[in-house]
Amino acid sequence: MRFLTKFSQVRIGLLVTALSTSALLLSCQETGKDKPADTAAVDLNAPLTGTVTAELTDAPLVPKPLTYNTPKKVMVELEVIEKVMKISDDTEYTFWTFGGKVPGKFIRVRVGDLVDFTLKNAADSKVVHNIDLHAVNGPGGGAEATNVAPGQSANFQFRVLQPGLFVYHCATGPVGMHIANGMYGLILVEPAEGLPKVDREFYLMQGDFYTKGKFDEKGLQPFDEEKAIKEQADYVLFNGRVRSTTGKNALQANVGENVRLFVGNGGPNLISSFHAIGEIFDKVYMEGGSAVNHNVQTTLIPAGGSSTVEMSLQVPGVLNLVDHSIYRAFNKGAIAQIKVSGEENPAVFKSNK
Amino acid sequence: MENMKRFVFLILLFAASIGAGAQPGRAKGKPMHTVAKGVYEPFFRTATTMPVPVAAFRIDEYAVTNAEFIGFVKQNPAWRRSRVNRLFADKNYLHHWATDTTLAPADAKLLQAPVVSVSWFAAQAYSRWQGKRLPTVAEWELAGNGKPRNIRFDSLTDYILDWYKRPNPKVLPPVKSTYLNQYGLYDMHGLIWEWTFDFNSFVGSTDSRGNTTDEVQAFCAAGAVNVKDKTDYAGFMRYGYRGSLKGNFCIQNLGFRCAKSI
Repeated sequence: MRFLTKFSQVRIGLLVTALSTSALLLSCQETGKDKPADTAAVDLNAPLTGTVTAELTDAPLVPKPLTYNTPKKVMVELEVIEKVMKISDDTEYTFWTFGGKVPGKFIRVRVGDLVDFTLKNAADSKVVHNIDLHAVNGPGGGAEATNVAPGQSANFQFRVLQPGLFVYHCATGPVGMHIANGMYGLILVEPAEGLPKVDREFYLMQGDFYTKGKFDEKGLQPFDEEKAIKEQADYVLFNGRVRSTTGKNALQANVGENVRLFVGNGGPNLISSFHAIGEIFDKVYMEGGSAVNHNVQTTLIPAGGSSTVEMSLQVPGVLNLVDHSIYRAFNKGAIAQIKVSGEENPAVFKSNK
Repeated sequence: MENMKRFVFLILLFAASIGAGAQPGRAKGKPMHTVAKGVYEPFFRTATTMPVPVAAFRIDEYAVTNAEFIGFVKQNPAWRRSRVNRLFADKNYLHHWATDTTLAPADAKLLQAPVVSVSWFAAQAYSRWQGKRLPTVAEWELAGNGKPRNIRFDSLTDYILDWYKRPNPKVLPPVKSTYLNQYGLYDMHGLIWEWTFDFNSFVGSTDSRGNTTDEVQAFCAAGAVNVKDKTDYAGFMRYGYRGSLKGNFCIQNLGFRCAKSI
């Protein structure tokens, strides 16, 4: 009897072992199919293959696609500058910027790179600033390491572990005010194999602004914290200014081209319903991550989030890019434009007027 | 008639003595005012932060001016720009001065403006030279909280925030150019930032959105729960500013005024 009991225990033990082994095998296969997470993709012990200085651009320009395919040390230096600029034709605002413009400079790196990041705060700044890059795995996204007084600078390093389009912003208290004043930008982390080639790339970033005066009220308008807390934006803008990207400043493209937009949303409060009037997004890298959706009319871009969208242009004309929370587009400034030049294409669109 | 003459003479004497007090280097006799004892409520409310009792103290009516600081470096050559030890003052120390002991003639206006781009160590040395000391954070905050006396505004916070919202002026205005408060102190807000004795007792960094467990968790999201008054944006800024400083930093909108125990 005792022997039998023992035997059955052994049998059960074997069975459990066999089951768990197969489960383990199955789960291994599954993770093998999925994109590896975090450090799995990056060999932290592999030597870096040289040092480069990152090309930084102001919106709507994007740095050139990266030509290297092994990890490098990438030097990035951003300066925080507080300055009065036009928010509309006859309205000024004291912007706080990463690099002198809103949004901040576009940074482009490759997964596996080691970023050597220096944040300077201009000597004539009034307040302290720092930076939180959502591409960072580490305390505060770098904010703790970069808290800089006027005239000072701070440096930290981070390894880029995951591809995607990430927002960066200032995280000095009160964070809302720093973001509301324009302290945000984008950092693109290219996957190891790079992004598919397109004809044109542009950089757009939405943000909401809160001023003592109403929309378009003349003069230098101070920030209004009451309205910010109530989330009652006076301005919802692409690239920090009413008409920043319309008319003669519209983005330029041609019929037959593929266009990729890197779109960020700095907030501080509003979520964007990003839409191109008269065009369908062929591809959307949802929330700036790796999952691609196809044939999308309107994509949500969270505050502190992003989206990469691609479209092929079939017919000439002006494409209005809007936040489809539509009062923002027509009453608060959230319109950008792509001027598409080229031959009419009646097979795709023909007006019978 | 004789009485009248004497009276005029006295007035003239009085005026002259005031004039002398304002002359470069003659910091002696600079007016100070008493801030009555009070309780300072720390900006952060945590289990360990208690209201801090503050004894009555004396504090300068206005910030130390360039003229006054020129007097100091003339008598204390070790604190001249060309001689100062980098450990005690970084490369921006008094960089707005033309020489070790003078401003450029074109900058004469700045003589009566607050001296800025001075380190904590330099401010300490100056205070000691005057037989005074720097105010503590608690003292400074108590003094800074004094109600405005000569201008009307609804909210001190709004007044301070309006200052933050403007870029620094090209030429720093003179002392006593903003407002006077209930203690008789000028420019506690709206002109420059000021050093405090224990500026760095407020722990280090200013991200603190729940990444650490210390009292600095004030500057975002979860951390902001501990802040006494979330609408005190101005308080946020002052603490953030102090938290970013090191003793040898010299910043072009950071000066100081002296205090004295009673």
